[in-house]
Amino acid sequence: MNEGLKEKLEKAFPHAAITSMRDTDYVVTADKESVLSLLAYVKDAGFDHLTLISCVDWIDEGEFELVYILSPYMKDNEQISGNEKINLILKTRIARGNPAFQTVTHIFENAEPYERELHELFGVHFEGHKRLIPLFLERAYDIPPFRKDFDTRRYVKEVFDNIPAIQDIKA
Amino acid sequence: MRELELYFGPQHLGMVGNFSITLKAEGDRVLKATANPGYLHRGFEKLMEYRTWIQNFPLVCRINVVEPDHVEMAYAMAVEKLAGIEVPERAQYVRSIYLELARVGSHLFGLWAYANMLGFDTVAQWAMYHRDLVLDLFEELTGGRVYHIYIWPGGVRRDFPKGFKDKIVTTLHSIGGCVPDYDAAFFNNAIFHKRASGIGKIDQRRARELGATGQVLRATGMKYDVRKVAPYAAYDKVEWNVPVRSDGDAYSRIWVVRDEMIESVHMIFKLLDCMPEGEVFNKPPNPFKWKIPRGEAYARCESSRGEFGAYVVSNGEDKPYRVHFRTPSYPHGLIILEKLLENANIADVGNTMISLYVVAPEIDR
Amino acid sequence: MAMPSILGPFKTLRFLFEKPKTLRYPFERKEPALRYRGFHLNDWEKCTGCGNCADICPNQAIEMVEIPDMEAQPGQKNERPRLDYGRCCFCGLCVDICPPGSLRLSRDYFHIHFDTKTFTFIPKDEKTEKEKFLPPDKYSILQASLAHRKQDYEGFASDLDFSLFEPERITMPELGAEERKMSFVEQVLGYDKESARKEAARCLECKLCEEACPAHLKISDYVRAIYEDKPADSLKTIFKDNPIPAICGRICMKHCETACSLSIRGEPIAIRWLKRYVADSILDYKTALELSPAQPSGKKVAIIGAGPSGLALAYFLTLQGHHAVVFDAFPGGGGMVRIGPPAYRLPLESIDKDVNHMASLGVEFNFNTRVGSDISFEDIMKKYDAVYLAIGTSQSRSTKVKNADKCMLALDFLRKSKLESGVVVGKKIVVIGGGNVAMDVARTGLRLQKMQYPDEPTEIKTVCLENGDEMPASEDEIRESKEEGIAFNPAWGPKEVRLDDGGNIAGLLCMKVKSVFDGQGRFSPSFYEDQELFLEADTIIEAIGQAPDFSFIPQNLMSTLEFTPRRKVKVDENGQTTITRVFAGGDIVNINLDAVTAIADAKVAAEGIGKIFSKKTSG
Repeated sequence: MNEGLKEKLEKAFPHAAITSMRDTDYVVTADKESVLSLLAYVKDAGFDHLTLISCVDWIDEGEFELVYILSPYMKDNEQISGNEKINLILKTRIARGNPAFQTVTHIFENAEPYERELHELFGVHFEGHKRLIPLFLERAYDIPPFRKDFDTRRYVKEVFDNIPAIQDIKA
Repeated sequence: MRELELYFGPQHLGMVGNFSITLKAEGDRVLKATANPGYLHRGFEKLMEYRTWIQNFPLVCRINVVEPDHVEMAYAMAVEKLAGIEVPERAQYVRSIYLELARVGSHLFGLWAYANMLGFDTVAQWAMYHRDLVLDLFEELTGGRVYHIYIWPGGVRRDFPKGFKDKIVTTLHSIGGCVPDYDAAFFNNAIFHKRASGIGKIDQRRARELGATGQVLRATGMKYDVRKVAPYAAYDKVEWNVPVRSDGDAYSRIWVVRDEMIESVHMIFKLLDCMPEGEVFNKPPNPFKWKIPRGEAYARCESSRGEFGAYVVSNGEDKPYRVHFRTPSYPHGLIILEKLLENANIADVGNTMISLYVVAPEIDR
Repeated sequence: MAMPSILGPFKTLRFLFEKPKTLRYPFERKEPALRYRGFHLNDWEKCTGCGNCADICPNQAIEMVEIPDMEAQPGQKNERPRLDYGRCCFCGLCVDICPPGSLRLSRDYFHIHFDTKTFTFIPKDEKTEKEKFLPPDKYSILQASLAHRKQDYEGFASDLDFSLFEPERITMPELGAEERKMSFVEQVLGYDKESARKEAARCLECKLCEEACPAHLKISDYVRAIYEDKPADSLKTIFKDNPIPAICGRICMKHCETACSLSIRGEPIAIRWLKRYVADSILDYKTALELSPAQPSGKKVAIIGAGPSGLALAYFLTLQGHHAVVFDAFPGGGGMVRIGPPAYRLPLESIDKDVNHMASLGVEFNFNTRVGSDISFEDIMKKYDAVYLAIGTSQSRSTKVKNADKCMLALDFLRKSKLESGVVVGKKIVVIGGGNVAMDVARTGLRLQKMQYPDEPTEIKTVCLENGDEMPASEDEIRESKEEGIAFNPAWGPKEVRLDDGGNIAGLLCMKVKSVFDGQGRFSPSFYEDQELFLEADTIIEAIGQAPDFSFIPQNLMSTLEFTPRRKVKVDENGQTTITRVFAGGDIVNINLDAVTAIADAKVAAEGIGKIFSKKTSG
């Protein structure tokens, strides 16, 4: 990150902790109130490519961590400025009990399927999302399946162990 | 006129892969399209949380059937970043050559899919045959034809076998020799031009807003390629160009694909020429005891479809705590496709989708 | 980009007249690549049944199954991998983790069968399953299956440069030969934390070592604890089975390392040095072990001999609440270990560390007390509830050749040089013997020479009956002795000790050995009397073996003490001899003659003694 942006961010968002991780990855941890304005801010500052929205279930801490990964598109069709190689990893934590957050689809249009996916797999509700309907799964589960307390092994045992072996069907 | 709901896929001639689109149509005009993924949702990212760092390699390659190699690369790079593993220089070259071979193989597969869907069966058969020649190279190098499981944290799994350099050159020459035939039969075919130009047109502003990468973006004129903007492996060691077009339609995209293949072949030749001797594998720790310190990493590479990324979180354990793959087909197939199909002709649905190069398993994961 | 053309495509019509590219299978076939990942091959002779393949398999396609008519041995389990091809994804992780390199993938991949059970099978290769692997002329692709495969069709095989384990050991810092032979400074310097953790990280936890260890230490657990940087946990695990880690960490015969699966193609985990690292890095065992004192039982056990077996028993009994009283003729603990291994291998401080810890737990030590002269065996029998004989083999044997009485005996020599510091050697020493004790004697003699004649030329030679490959000493000892400049004369037997006019030793006359053992494999050397070798010497030391000394046991009891055919004291499954209340262990019982087996004997006896005590109190 160019030093200028780092300082500007720190100034504009006193609640955001900026931890520079590796040469190309910058991690910004923000409280959830400032995430939306931060996203709009960094978008204006050049980070206009939302690469990924992810969610990590920190079950022991009772929190979900929403992760927004951004990088800049080229400003010029021909010239590389050098900023493009930066990944800005913006993180915030929300309570796990009744997980809800604001949608960012009005800032980044391509956030739409990502938020749908997280809603389906983690049960995080995104307020203001226009189409929060299932994406991948064909049925609803008691616990959203990507949460840490969903035991895949047990689920597999329960569902698939009841299917008879091929030999048994023949007999 | 009456509104119809039409199911396009997963069993449809114009559909490649297990994916479907629900169309709301009036006459032969599409009013609204809804992408309907999930046929291949295997929950890989969740399954990975149950397997050790090394055990995940046979798993991740299945995320993209057509080119498993870039998935391996993204995951391996993320693991290397997290664990702080250095990769020997020769391995960087081997990786680049291997990934470019994968790109050629994948583009030939894409060409098959596209030509096949449009009814250019001859070209489709050629592409499939030539892809097979590339797969022969993979078999020679890695022991597997489709799932190679070749890139490992710390390098690659085996060095080039004897005489492999020559084999690459011979194979690529024999494929490259057919470019004029491909051009005559397909790329410069007036029928194809008529069929593809203007289809699925997207301008650069929209492409950026919708998170496009790869050909979809490059067909609108931007020279955005992760290999160039954030070089990894040995991509900064040789000179090469990023092919672009400016129209943003299916015709431009497929031409970008064609030029990219040729550029890849040239790049492989250059990489082979300056490849250093030496080690190709820097052993990671014992797989039964390998724990990676707490942390997170995002690593990305340019797959044949666009930016392929892996976000990996470690909890300090011997297994990943969370893995999330950013796949290029995800924005392409889920939103760009939906937007481009609005007001399109029903006959152009498959055309648009395959020109976007959507691979279903990559979306579902 | 040329202008799109409508006529261009017709150019391709010429392909109509070309030969098709497609292979007409099965008449035309493409050979799979040399690295092809197909069905498994397993060399049963090399496979150790370690199960690493089953552990790494991401699909749980491999299961280790017991093979009925196969016997488990040290370094060999009686298990072999079974594959389930309904699960296998042919990734080859199993090949890259296989320590002996027995598991490989072949280049064939055909199996068609109506019975899904045939998809589960135990792979072998053409060495052991000739009928299933056919030469190319008998092989038909139309019959290809798991029971009809091609010979010499190996594909993806293991390569040490790309294996998932590390075949090479972390180098142990050691003094060089020139430096170490000048004094008795400890030769091996020990791992620091970083190296110990790195070395521990190599362990694959297959546990072959644990089955090979006579005392069955939980090796993979304590090695893992070292890797996790928890030395106290590691020490706790060690102490469950071995209470003298500082001693064993230096001089153990390491049956475990011989069994280690990594030793087949690389170097075994340095298990012994890792144990030493734990023992040395923890200054105070007692605090680290956090032992809770046992309820005193009021029982007293006399232990004769403070060697490894006696010490171990004293510890195990103390944990049970019994009072252990140890008698030993030497001024300190360790028994044979105190005098045998020279200080460059086992310094006295390390022995005292283990012994002092035991004393702090309440074990009573009576040193400088020889049973038989200082206290009588009958007294002991009367005063104690049980007696443990851990007397070891304390008498050196002599060759009894002419003038042999002028020679020194190995144990006397070692004891004097280690405990007393009053032994004077000559400039030309000859050591008779080819075992580890002979190596200790020779290397001690060399150091004494260097200290006593710092500026004069000296020489030291050994003579032994066995030829170079058969020498009973360990390879390391022989190599290190040679490095230090000790000369070897294998396959020569002593004939007589020649004296000069003053009656002093002039040298050793040897004769060529014909054979060491007779037709039945018994020790019975024969010689070519006419082939002679004269070795000039002023000091000759005999190191040809030791024998136990039972003279302290009164005749009436001795006559009831039974021996095995191999001249070992006979004990039952509780470690009890044919004399009631008298137990035995160590070198007088087992044939391994090493510390860790002595500890294993003590474990048996501790349980046996405990059993007898509980029987008495309850009955």
